Amino acid sequence: MTNLANIHEDAESLLMGNEAIARGALEAGVNVATSYPGTPASEIIENLAHVARERNLYVEWSANEKVALEVAAAASFSQLRSLCAMKQVGVNVAADFLLHLGLSGTRGGMVLVTCDDPGALSSSNEGPSRHFARMFEIPLLEPGDFQEAKDITKWAFELSEEIKTVVMVRSVTRVSHASGNVRLGKLPEDERHAEFKYDGLGLNADEGPAESVPVGEKHRLQQDKLILATKLFEESPFNTYQGPEKPELLIITASAGNLYTREAISVLRVEDRVGLLKLGTTWPLPPLLLKRYLSTTDKIMFVEEVLPFLEENVKILAAENAREIGVKTFYGKNERTMPKTGELNPDIVISALCKILKTDYIAMDPEYEKKFQMPFSAEVPDRARTFCPGCPHRASFWSIHNALQMDNRKGFVCGDIGCYSMGRFSSGFNTTKTLHAMGSGAGLASGFGKLAQFGMDQPVLAVCGDSTFFHAVMPALVNAVHHKSNITLVVLDNSGTAMTGFQPHPGLSVNAMGDEVPEVDISKVCDAIGAKVEIRDPFDLGETQKTLNRMLEDKQGVKVLILQQACALSPEKKHTKKYEMSVDEELCIGEDCGCNRLCTRIFQCPGLVWDNDKKKARIDEALCVGCGVCSLICPAGAIKRKEVA
Amino acid sequence: MATKPLSKDPYNIVITGVGGQGNVMASRVLANILVRNGYYVTIGETFGASQRGGSVMSHIRVSRQCAWSPQIPRGRADIAVSLEPIEAIRVLKKYGNPKINALSNTRPIYPVGVIAGQLTYPSLQEIKESVKELCLSSWFIDATDEAMKLGNPILGNIIMIGALSRIGELPMGRNDFKEVISKSMQEDKLDINLEAFDIGTSIVGQ
Amino acid sequence: MDERDKIKGQNELQVTVLNTNLCTGCGACIDLCPYFKSYKGRTAILFPCTLKQGRCFAYCPKVEVDLDELSQKFFGRLYDGNPLGSYQTIMISRAGKKIARSDFQAGGTVSAIVYFAIKRGYIDGAVLTDRDGLLPVPRFITKPEDVFTCASSKYTAAPTLSALNQGIKDGFKRIGIIATPCQALATALMRSNPLEEVNFVDPTGLVIGLFCTWALDFRSFEEFISTRVDIKKITKIDIPPPPTDTMEIYMGNGEKMKIPLDEIRQLIPEGCSYCIDMTAEFSDISVGVLEGHPDMNTLLIRTERGRKIVDEARKDGYLIVSDIPKENLEHLKWAAANKKRRGLAKAKQEKIVNTLKGDKASYLRLNTETLEKITQMTGRSS
Repeated sequence: MTNLANIHEDAESLLMGNEAIARGALEAGVNVATSYPGTPASEIIENLAHVARERNLYVEWSANEKVALEVAAAASFSQLRSLCAMKQVGVNVAADFLLHLGLSGTRGGMVLVTCDDPGALSSSNEGPSRHFARMFEIPLLEPGDFQEAKDITKWAFELSEEIKTVVMVRSVTRVSHASGNVRLGKLPEDERHAEFKYDGLGLNADEGPAESVPVGEKHRLQQDKLILATKLFEESPFNTYQGPEKPELLIITASAGNLYTREAISVLRVEDRVGLLKLGTTWPLPPLLLKRYLSTTDKIMFVEEVLPFLEENVKILAAENAREIGVKTFYGKNERTMPKTGELNPDIVISALCKILKTDYIAMDPEYEKKFQMPFSAEVPDRARTFCPGCPHRASFWSIHNALQMDNRKGFVCGDIGCYSMGRFSSGFNTTKTLHAMGSGAGLASGFGKLAQFGMDQPVLAVCGDSTFFHAVMPALVNAVHHKSNITLVVLDNSGTAMTGFQPHPGLSVNAMGDEVPEVDISKVCDAIGAKVEIRDPFDLGETQKTLNRMLEDKQGVKVLILQQACALSPEKKHTKKYEMSVDEELCIGEDCGCNRLCTRIFQCPGLVWDNDKKKARIDEALCVGCGVCSLICPAGAIKRKEVA
Repeated sequence: MATKPLSKDPYNIVITGVGGQGNVMASRVLANILVRNGYYVTIGETFGASQRGGSVMSHIRVSRQCAWSPQIPRGRADIAVSLEPIEAIRVLKKYGNPKINALSNTRPIYPVGVIAGQLTYPSLQEIKESVKELCLSSWFIDATDEAMKLGNPILGNIIMIGALSRIGELPMGRNDFKEVISKSMQEDKLDINLEAFDIGTSIVGQ
Repeated sequence: MDERDKIKGQNELQVTVLNTNLCTGCGACIDLCPYFKSYKGRTAILFPCTLKQGRCFAYCPKVEVDLDELSQKFFGRLYDGNPLGSYQTIMISRAGKKIARSDFQAGGTVSAIVYFAIKRGYIDGAVLTDRDGLLPVPRFITKPEDVFTCASSKYTAAPTLSALNQGIKDGFKRIGIIATPCQALATALMRSNPLEEVNFVDPTGLVIGLFCTWALDFRSFEEFISTRVDIKKITKIDIPPPPTDTMEIYMGNGEKMKIPLDEIRQLIPEGCSYCIDMTAEFSDISVGVLEGHPDMNTLLIRTERGRKIVDEARKDGYLIVSDIPKENLEHLKWAAANKKRRGLAKAKQEKIVNTLKGDKASYLRLNTETLEKITQMTGRSS
């Protein structure tokens, strides 16, 4: 990992968007940084944690985003500067507190960084986060490239401290996870002292209690802050224009849309016809600035990800000022010029521009394209995601799936968020049948488990990860136990938050900064809540399945089965091999009756491949990590495992 | 910026492979070499979920003018560097054109659908022929096999970088590589990475 | 169309037998491969198998059973619908002096024959049904004395043939099997080498069939009983021969509970109602109770190898035999004929007898003459 504190000021570095954001926070003198892992936000806190000691920061992976925001707010109330980062759905989790934080205001500069995932590349949704800024009446900034990722983050702290409210900085995958040249600034040397002052009068922003009440007064004050912000936004260097004075078409964009639009304009060579207004301050909108540019033409296009947030806000402003600026023709999502779902890219913008400007563009030579259809062009098989070789989830779902089939009562599993979300695919034997948000598996199960009185006789299970357990499952578990719901919760404990890069969570004995901390024991928590708890090793397929079948037959209350086995990518497992695996070709039954390629067709571990010439299974040495589980499923005992000394 | 002009500006590179092959690291190393030499570089990537056995792609834009979008527009890549052979064709389908060059590893990683017997994976010969047909020039090297001789299959990505430097389309050399890795890697790893780089430059000539 | 074409794979087996509730859990398809498993008496499919033809379908006694073909192979003639099936002799029997009294239920004939057969090497192992609490479990034994641990009667269906499948995999060559009629039928199908495997050798040494009117579905039975009794206290279950119409549950402390059979009959799996075989017609020998004589058995000898073993056992003091009283024989024929007629009528009603080739799979195939004969059967002595 790059040490962001080590690169000296004025150097030009290649930084990832998230690294730039982290560096911006460091240049602003951030003291406290909190988060819950979520793609594409995770690297922000990872980078700050990396330099925590040398920059005297407190960095925390909190139990969930609501707590993370509260911890960051405490730092701000104590006059420190704090940053809280999360992916788009984290804001949903933190929303209740964020609403009240907008009312109470902040003290030390506080920045909420949200990283959206348009196109759901690493999410179970492509929901918005910008609307929260408007809804909860706080300022919103959006960096349009990697330099801005740093500069806007730094300025966000100054803005926050000036107007005394939390500032939202919104990024997307193509800024957060993309990289580009960034010129660095200075790292400050001043130290801050933490003190929470609360003796002042109720409405004293710096020294009164930190409260959202009295609501009337606080709400008015909050709205005054936005007016101040708007004034500052009129002059902001983060709102830029490139193009002719009187363009044929004005494109208003923000965030990654800026990069796509610049590219599209360049590819079509329409720099002389199209103006590009890139906004870095997207809520509240600076009206004077917008009126000025809206007046230069009557054709306005919007380029932004997923929902038409910017588009609708500008349209409202245009409607309110129609008399002054004239009637406009808009090209956005509501007019179907741009798609309302999925991620944008330069090709989509190029295509839309061609329609508006009535110009032609051929992306790929048709003769070249034909070559892919010719018989000699090799067919490209799809590459579906799957569990890594040695993943404990593959073994867990094997046992859960088989226990349910043997039980034979149409039982089902409610899924949750993590690598194990793939339980719905063939790599997880299509075991999970619901998928929503963090902790929803257990919540839904709690409900399904109460429907016996209406004739529901299907056994109900839920799965969750160890990190998800602390994030959101605990209240659902309390609910299930207290209301005597008949369910089995399987905790897939692989010792880390694996999906997002193996960050620690409260169940581990080490924290973000590498310090030793007390671990919260999941089995003890479940026991204290009142569930019947058992712990097994998912690699012991026989024992695990037997235990599950027994739990499925127990119709009384909540059963918790904790399946403990570290993730194949965890530090303790990576680069170790427990077994040397091999296939005895004499014994391998292969495609014939008695096997029908159980290991490669059904188990589907990438380390085990089908040799189509020999018609036998074979170990792929480059991928197999030697977990040994496949040897337990072979009906002929042809897969051998030998313990490595 | 005192920089050498590129054969095309922006010069668009796609590095592709399967999650876990070291795609991200390869693109970082290459990009850092180019930033060092004074260019604007943008890398566009997806990681996290795609690591779990899915295809991964890094789009690298190199330019003297400005920073470009992290995604290359359709049909506009200049070179496809592929750590896995079938991924080369997947990239060419979307970003290829008659002038594109391709550098590919020969070791296949079978998609789950192929392992399960539902999909077929073409022979290396078929892949080579298709790639030749779709590119101006193409090179195939046994990067994984060489890497395994060095003791770790993941060094395949560095061998590919070495080969790329030899092909000559980009201003990047051994010294640039050495400088960049000495800043980003632990000291005990430097020698083996340099060895991998050198192997790349030698085997691509063959 | 080639005879072999009638044999299909897992998918068709699921559609025609499992989904239609024809399955009686005989175990013929269990442990042939990783896909069929039995749990608490129910047959489960773990994963889909894509093979077009499989042994599971070939051995299943509830699909594509050509009675004429089987009868020809094992008895040298077409299936003629005789209520008791083909047999050489019928007699009554009980365990001889060489077997201790305390070791068995009723006449002890089965235990005695199996003990003898293993001891003398006629069979190298035996497939029986043991018990784990209330649950019957298949068991493979190689020591003669082990037969006594499995001596008590079981009334719930068990997948006993899974132990046969395992025994064959383990390399045993002359296996003895104690089978219910559907299990004996499945074994006969297996022995007829339906998939025409090259170098096929019959792995059985002796098939002992048990009389059976019906069996109970284990899960329904367990649920039913647990509402009346603490299952852990049950030591023995017995259904005495008619005219008593009850099931007797013995608890350890001398307590006995009686449940009317009418209540028990609702727990019979639907598949049993299609069965036309009361005396396990496709076995080497068949054994059942002798009405009015709780310490004797009825014994049918059907094949040469069955006769040989019974003769030797008798000579060696392991078995005592004598003639069957006329009224017992008549009553047995009457009961067997009724079951045959009822089962066939149900199968005809569901249109799964003699379906046209190419249409949906048949359960049974038999010649029309015999089909008519069975339909008219009243069981009264002609």
